Amino acid sequence: MAHKIAYFQKKGDPYIMLTGLGLVISLAMVIYILVIILTRGLGFFWPEDLVELQMEAGETYLGEVWAEDQKAVPDSTGDQEMIEEIQLKIGNRDILGYDFIWLDEPKIMHKSCPPEATAIERWEYGNFYGYIRSVQVGDSTVSSASTDIYKFALSIHRQAIAVNQKIGDLESEITTLTEPLVRLQREISLMEIGAEAQTEDGKSRLEKLYKRSDQLEASIGPEYQRLIENLERLHIKNDGMILNLNTAAGSSFELPLSKIVRFYQPNRMNFLEKCVLYLEKLYEFIAADPRESNTEGGVFPAIFGTVMMVLLMSIAVVPFGVLAAIYLNEYARQGAVTRLIRLSVNNLAGVPSIVFGIFGLGFFIYMVGGSIDQLFFSERLPEPTFGTGGIFWASLTLALLTLPVVVVATEEGILAVPRANKEGALALGATRWQMIRKIVLPNAMPGILTGLILAISRGAGEVAPLMITGVVKLAPSLPLDATFPFLHLDRKFMHLGFHIYDVGFQSPNVEAAKPMVYTTALLLILIVILLNILAIYIRNRLRKKYKTSAF
Amino acid sequence: MVTDVETAVHSLAERNRPIDKTIIETVDLDFFYSPEAHALIKVNIKILEKKVTAFIGPSGCGKSTLLRCFNRMNDLIMGVSIRGKVLIDNQDIYHPGQRLEELRNKVGMVFQKSNPFPMSIWENVAFGPRVNGVSNRTDLDGIVESALVQADLWREVKDRLGESALDLSGGQQQRLCIARTLANRPSIILMDEPASALDPISTGKIEETIGVLKEDYTIVIVTHNMQQAARVSDYTAFMMVGELVEYGDTKVIFTNPKERLTEEYITGRFG
Repeated sequence: MAHKIAYFQKKGDPYIMLTGLGLVISLAMVIYILVIILTRGLGFFWPEDLVELQMEAGETYLGEVWAEDQKAVPDSTGDQEMIEEIQLKIGNRDILGYDFIWLDEPKIMHKSCPPEATAIERWEYGNFYGYIRSVQVGDSTVSSASTDIYKFALSIHRQAIAVNQKIGDLESEITTLTEPLVRLQREISLMEIGAEAQTEDGKSRLEKLYKRSDQLEASIGPEYQRLIENLERLHIKNDGMILNLNTAAGSSFELPLSKIVRFYQPNRMNFLEKCVLYLEKLYEFIAADPRESNTEGGVFPAIFGTVMMVLLMSIAVVPFGVLAAIYLNEYARQGAVTRLIRLSVNNLAGVPSIVFGIFGLGFFIYMVGGSIDQLFFSERLPEPTFGTGGIFWASLTLALLTLPVVVVATEEGILAVPRANKEGALALGATRWQMIRKIVLPNAMPGILTGLILAISRGAGEVAPLMITGVVKLAPSLPLDATFPFLHLDRKFMHLGFHIYDVGFQSPNVEAAKPMVYTTALLLILIVILLNILAIYIRNRLRKKYKTSAF
Repeated sequence: MVTDVETAVHSLAERNRPIDKTIIETVDLDFFYSPEAHALIKVNIKILEKKVTAFIGPSGCGKSTLLRCFNRMNDLIMGVSIRGKVLIDNQDIYHPGQRLEELRNKVGMVFQKSNPFPMSIWENVAFGPRVNGVSNRTDLDGIVESALVQADLWREVKDRLGESALDLSGGQQQRLCIARTLANRPSIILMDEPASALDPISTGKIEETIGVLKEDYTIVIVTHNMQQAARVSDYTAFMMVGELVEYGDTKVIFTNPKERLTEEYITGRFG
């Protein structure tokens, strides 16, 4: 018996089980979080049936069932009794002041799914749930059997969307037209407050500018007038297309069709139609701009910002890290100093990221950015250009944060290059630099890319340092667009990680935004995975090419 | 310019086979891996042009170290120091003004373990000329072909020059490494146990190649295999614990050595 126990311990079975248990627990946690994110995130876009509930007290509610729960209430004898309760998303925030309501299940008299119940997604104030009564176009009002009115409303809505588009085009046309004038006027006002305006020379120049401004105004005047008139006509046309609605409680409500994103009658839709709508909403989420302080609409600017920041970071960190690693390994005299440097680099990887953020703010933004502003953008001061957070500084801060990872991985890649190959190159009369360029770097490429993969994984998920170096809740424009100089490194940007924090914890309507948090998290994970897959694919191709000699 | 007198002297020399021209000479060469590790002790040797010289001796005797002094490969190791002189063509190669690239162009090296680069066969052979500034494709093609022909590999690889060198067999890889060295047109080739990792047939081919190459090149070969030294070399140097024990004509060394240590080593009493 004692013999058996001794053998059992020698074999280490309990420890093997322990290691297995550790693995299982980690895996279970990863799978759990993925499943939660997947189900909650992807379920958000599914057009749920609308339920109409009539309560004992006489009120009627229409909406989507959001959650179900149990709560304890005292019954007639004073004991605790568990009852079911339902959370209903009832929308109509502008009428009721709240989107959600908890209803006690026993108090519900009647439950139904009326086919003509309509869900309306609006540009403002969130969803509206109700019934279409009639459609008003200009002076005429159309009201008929409910299916037809729905289809008619859809066609009018398409018109309204088209008009919206035209309004947008016209507005940008007007902006382009007036841009030279605006710039001139800005120049004039800057001169007026400057000291130069007091001198004779300055006065005459100012005089000239006034004249030029008047000429310009006169020349674009008629065109400007025409565009403004067009714009007004379109606005009037749009204001004339109105959806007359009834709420579940029976009160009537008017909604201009141009203020509607889309509307649908989920109780009438079959599975296929719901799938189409689902994909449409999913596409909107990925490709559109956010609405309603980010709790609705899409996250495209955040996706764009995240990917662009990661790319800029990679461009900054890889050459820097690789050069440092090459010097450290190939040129520097190995000894106490290089050991100290390696130790410091490794320690740098453990520094909390917010510290890097503060460094980025102090060094990059205030010192470097401030100096750039003084030297090149002094005419815009005190309004900062580079002296404030922006995608460039955020990327550089993250590059610094991920530098240790790249240095360490590159060093490992360089060390893995067979000594025989390096000696072979030198023996053929190659200089040290030629040897590094032609033998070491290509062979170390998989290692370098491993570093890049790790850097991307770390950088894409980092939020804290970004919050003080250039991320914003809502950026007015993307850092890359069609206006010169196309790449606007000084612009502030949106980021998926920060978006999660902002929508989930800072938005005025946290409950409505909860699914957005899951979906955004899912998207962030997907983007990190995609970027990683790309890097891994390149690395594997290189590995195949540079597999070391073996015989 | 070759004058008639020189030609006459040269042909006379050919006929009478007087003392050959010395190409490598060491003068009181001491080598230290660290202040305590004295690897070469007062080595004086003269290696003759266009001959095959073999270095033999037990492991750790310093024969590879000596070989690596000739193209300064030892410089790569940290903490080494050297005393004395190594003259190649009467030039001190440890002179501070010596360019390592020039030296290594003139003194090529084939290593114990074949070390083809992870590139195509063509790129492997063209590597040396390219780092030395040859960039014309036709020139390179010519160099690659003649180098591969000399290394007796051309027939086997001429249709697959673009394929990875790593797909060649071990023996082919080693001959590729020889071709790569030849592409630089060196005057001396150092071989550090070039066949020790190969099978007998591949070894035979390498030895054949050496036999052909000695017409044009000075070859210094380190080997563990005494039969090989006897077969391929004209001169043999026997070393022990950092000292050159005996150096002379291969036939004499193997049949009638002067030193007792040499005799004991080649008859297999230790080693």
